[in-house]
Amino acid sequence: MKLLKELGIIVVSVALGLGVGAIITAATGYSVPAVFRELVRGAFSDMYRVAQTLTQATPILFTSLSFLIAFRAGLFNIGAEGQLFLGGFFAAWAGFTLSLPPVLHIVVCLFFGAAAGAVWGFIPGWLRARRGANEFVTTMMLSYVAIYLTSWLVSPGGPYHGHQWANQTARILSTAELPRMITGTQLSWGIVVGGLVALLLWYFLFRMPRGYELRAVGQNPLAAEYGGVDVAPTQILAMVLAGALAGLGGASEILGTHRRFIEGFSPGYGWDGIAGGLIARAHPIGAVFAALLMGALRAGGSAIDRAGVAPSDLAAVFQGLVILFVVAPELIRYLKRVRRRRRVHGRPEP
Amino acid sequence: MNNRERSLSGEAVRLEGIVKRFSGVTANAGIDLSLNYGEVHGLLGENGAGKTVLMSVLYGLYRPTEGQIYLKDRPVAISSPAVAIRAGIGMVHQHFMLVPRLTVADNMVVGWETLWGPFLDRSRIRRRIGELSEQYGLEVDPSARVEELSVGEQQRVEIVKALYRGAEVLILDEPTATLPEQEVESFFATIRALRDEGKAVVFITHKLREALTICDRVTVLRKGEKVGTVPASQATESQLAEMMVGREVVFEVQRERVASEGQPLLRVEGLTAVDDRGVPAVQEVGFTVHDHEIVGVAGVQGNGQSELVEAICGLSRLRQGQVMVDGEDLSGAPPRKMAQAGLVHIPEDRHRRGLILDFSVGENSILGRQYESPFAIGQVGQSKRAIAGYARELVERFNIVVPGVRTPARALSGGNQQRVILARELDRKPKVIVAAQPTRGLDVAGIEFVWEQLLAMRREGAAILLVSMDLDELLTLADRLVVMYQGKLVGERKPGETDKQEIGLLMLGGAVETA
Amino acid sequence: MDVLSLDIMVAALRLAMPIALVALGETFSERSGIINIGVEGTALAGALIGATVAFFSGSSVVGLCAALGVGMLLGLIHAVWCVYLRADHVVTGAAINLLVIGLALFLTRVVWGWRGTSAAVPTLNPWILVWGMVGLIVLAQVYLFRTPWGLRLRVVGEHPQAADTAGINVFRTRVAYSVLNGALCGLAGAFLVNNLGRFSVGMVGGRGFIGIAAMVVGNYRPIPAFLAAYLFGFVDALQMRLQDVIPSHFSIMLPYVLTVVVLAGFLGRAHVPAALGKPYIKDQG
Repeated sequence: MKLLKELGIIVVSVALGLGVGAIITAATGYSVPAVFRELVRGAFSDMYRVAQTLTQATPILFTSLSFLIAFRAGLFNIGAEGQLFLGGFFAAWAGFTLSLPPVLHIVVCLFFGAAAGAVWGFIPGWLRARRGANEFVTTMMLSYVAIYLTSWLVSPGGPYHGHQWANQTARILSTAELPRMITGTQLSWGIVVGGLVALLLWYFLFRMPRGYELRAVGQNPLAAEYGGVDVAPTQILAMVLAGALAGLGGASEILGTHRRFIEGFSPGYGWDGIAGGLIARAHPIGAVFAALLMGALRAGGSAIDRAGVAPSDLAAVFQGLVILFVVAPELIRYLKRVRRRRRVHGRPEP
Repeated sequence: MNNRERSLSGEAVRLEGIVKRFSGVTANAGIDLSLNYGEVHGLLGENGAGKTVLMSVLYGLYRPTEGQIYLKDRPVAISSPAVAIRAGIGMVHQHFMLVPRLTVADNMVVGWETLWGPFLDRSRIRRRIGELSEQYGLEVDPSARVEELSVGEQQRVEIVKALYRGAEVLILDEPTATLPEQEVESFFATIRALRDEGKAVVFITHKLREALTICDRVTVLRKGEKVGTVPASQATESQLAEMMVGREVVFEVQRERVASEGQPLLRVEGLTAVDDRGVPAVQEVGFTVHDHEIVGVAGVQGNGQSELVEAICGLSRLRQGQVMVDGEDLSGAPPRKMAQAGLVHIPEDRHRRGLILDFSVGENSILGRQYESPFAIGQVGQSKRAIAGYARELVERFNIVVPGVRTPARALSGGNQQRVILARELDRKPKVIVAAQPTRGLDVAGIEFVWEQLLAMRREGAAILLVSMDLDELLTLADRLVVMYQGKLVGERKPGETDKQEIGLLMLGGAVETA
Repeated sequence: MDVLSLDIMVAALRLAMPIALVALGETFSERSGIINIGVEGTALAGALIGATVAFFSGSSVVGLCAALGVGMLLGLIHAVWCVYLRADHVVTGAAINLLVIGLALFLTRVVWGWRGTSAAVPTLNPWILVWGMVGLIVLAQVYLFRTPWGLRLRVVGEHPQAADTAGINVFRTRVAYSVLNGALCGLAGAFLVNNLGRFSVGMVGGRGFIGIAAMVVGNYRPIPAFLAAYLFGFVDALQMRLQDVIPSHFSIMLPYVLTVVVLAGFLGRAHVPAALGKPYIKDQG
């Protein structure tokens, strides 16, 4: 019952966002039916395109989980982008420097990525819990630092510049590659890893005492403290996990899709994670679907560009609008009340 | 504009058929009320009788669902407090509407400022406040910060604030609730002075004796309905009591004698603690609570009781001192350790500390025991079934009215929320209970329930520390009373050997010499 | 290289202005009880629309007005979301940031045909704006602490119920200052365009967040917040010169690192308005 209501609100929010998006599309002189047709076709029409959607959804799933775990603890990790870059770089580093047997190598690389992200989550977590520094400012600032740092590492003056003309590292060893799920596409097993992690996170949040404590801290830190929860360590833990999840997302993207670290490899998956986490209403299983939606928007966005219907960035506008409506469930409830009142009174009340 | 030179007499306000419903709950069911200038009108009723709601309607905070308000016989629509203020209505709320960080003067004038060009004319404001405080004998310092003032001083600020805005009708919501006995008398003198100036004063209270002492007429409300209005000179306490609760007696508490074995279960020594701002709030406090004993802590709000409780229970850092639970030194131990040692805590604010409102009743019922078996399976699992079963058991045993254990705690009434907390804490079979204002804001049935539970725990041998602002509650329940004043214990009495007067004096720090 | 030349001090003032404007706007907004991390996106929207309108109208002043307008619109949306719809403030701000980035990428494609940047747009002498702003900040300080409106604003953010019972409309006050915040952020965006002579999607580059940090360091007071913003502007000016000495990747990090360090050092000492981020719920039944 409650789940249905939540779902209803999300569906209406998405519809509202797309509706306003359609208005903007028309206002800027593009064909609304063509845009929506290409959007859907580009995301779902054949095996290749579905694979493309899933490929795009994979890092977004990780960053969505990253956002929501912090959110559940009452914190805002809006620096997943930077954590993603760091995770990606360190996974790549482990991928081309260590030599290990096949499966183990992948695991180690993923671990390196997660650890790098975790460090980048720990700093703002610690600063928040111990020094009271706004984590939504510090995560953002550290995100810039991480992006510039990794960018320097692969720049011509940096130590890991591994290519003649592109700012990227050397290719990772084949033992570190996350294999492709469907040959001929970019879709790797990273999506399965993401799904498993989402399940684990769900179990942690709703079926483990530590998860209960983390949610308690998010809802009411004073009551949590009263209930014997150590608030500051829990907040730090949440940010470390958030960083690790984003880092893992970067690692899976590098190991599965690019096979080397490339400067600016993420077109904003970190930001998409904020959107994904919010659309999922901070639920790990919901995040799977939210990431699919975001991935479809990205994949469909490229398609509308290729088809010459409209610029791909229209999809980003749609995404922004959807989020704006998703964060205000009261709006939907308000609209519902107005409609009901109209039905009862035959006219809106002043 | 503040000097209204009109003569004030006759009917100031008339309320006709006021109905106020909140999403289905009727708080006022058609109430008529008439207030005269030069009158103190008592509004008497239990918690939840609808007194505050009715006056909030008059003050424009709530719009009435039905009914009409007349000011000097003219029908008016009071759509906001701004309108009420302009109409000469002032209200002093039970929880003061003052910003702690601002000065008295700023608090008084906000929304009703005296200007010099576009700027606040602070010197004229100060002068005007000085005049008013002299006229009514209400001493206030305009340049002091509110956070530095005592509760009594803050109340004076609130009254002068209303007068500054030109109030002719003055609503006082439970003004004596937080005042010590001794300040009540001078406060009553102020009210009489206001009445003699021709103001219409509404005095909201649930205390019979005070209503009879200060009021000219008393209107009694019960469950949102008006029972009647009587002249105070012709009313008796028992008559009003019957009107208030609809039955003759309030209630008699069974406090059978149980002998303490003299085992000190909670011992506090030399405890010093600071408040949120780092200011020392508790200094060198020491006492002992034995088995089968309730020790009451009396005191005017804000004299360090909250900080004392938080320090004992491990919720704030202990500056100095010792806390021993059943002989074990737990000074500065975190809440979890305290609970494991057998000390439980009924927090003073159930929304702030006691419950996680968006968690279900089930989840709330294990708060503090989330890591214990059978709720936790190892540290890697949580048994939803065990939690739900346990919550259902508590709901049944403690008569908690709740649709189901999956209902969020937010959806419960205040009384039932408090029952959830009591059930959870008392079911841990504690040796020591620290109960901070456990009956705050509850109706008679709720209070009765809490008292019975605490007495039952005492019978079973628990040591109970009871902090309350309600002297009647303390005198009824406690075996011994300690009085706190400015962070220190200033006296200890036995309820049978003292009275409200003496405790009140101690609460003001006045009896240190005589003690 | 002479680091502390007058030259750099003056350049710092110009670089500090957008940060100071955001800090000032956020000061008003948070004093009323509304957190807005959408200032980053609002400034970007001001830059985007300011540049677009200046480009088509050929007038930098018209562009500036448009930037103000779009800022106010976003401030209004944020306020409606936070005040009436009781949405989470931080989350709503984040949503605004996401939306504007999308719009910026899209509109630059539509208008100029390339992704994320504009053609050159007309500018005006920045010093008129700079000195105008300095005057505005002094006025804001007086407004906040010496006028009845400033007093009401502070009460709304500290104790909305007290404000309500004193006859002040809490909702309208919050909406008004949120719109003002939007206007100032829009102006900050226009200022950035004016500094650079064109629009670029990365041009705000965290300055919105740095503005919030400046507000915290300035303890919610306009003049101290401006001084903090100046410090960030100075570091920004400094890092541009340091690029000859250390890799630009590192010098460019400097303001961000400084922000983190400063926040870690200053917070806890600032007094946060008591009702910040909490919706005011009037039980109206």
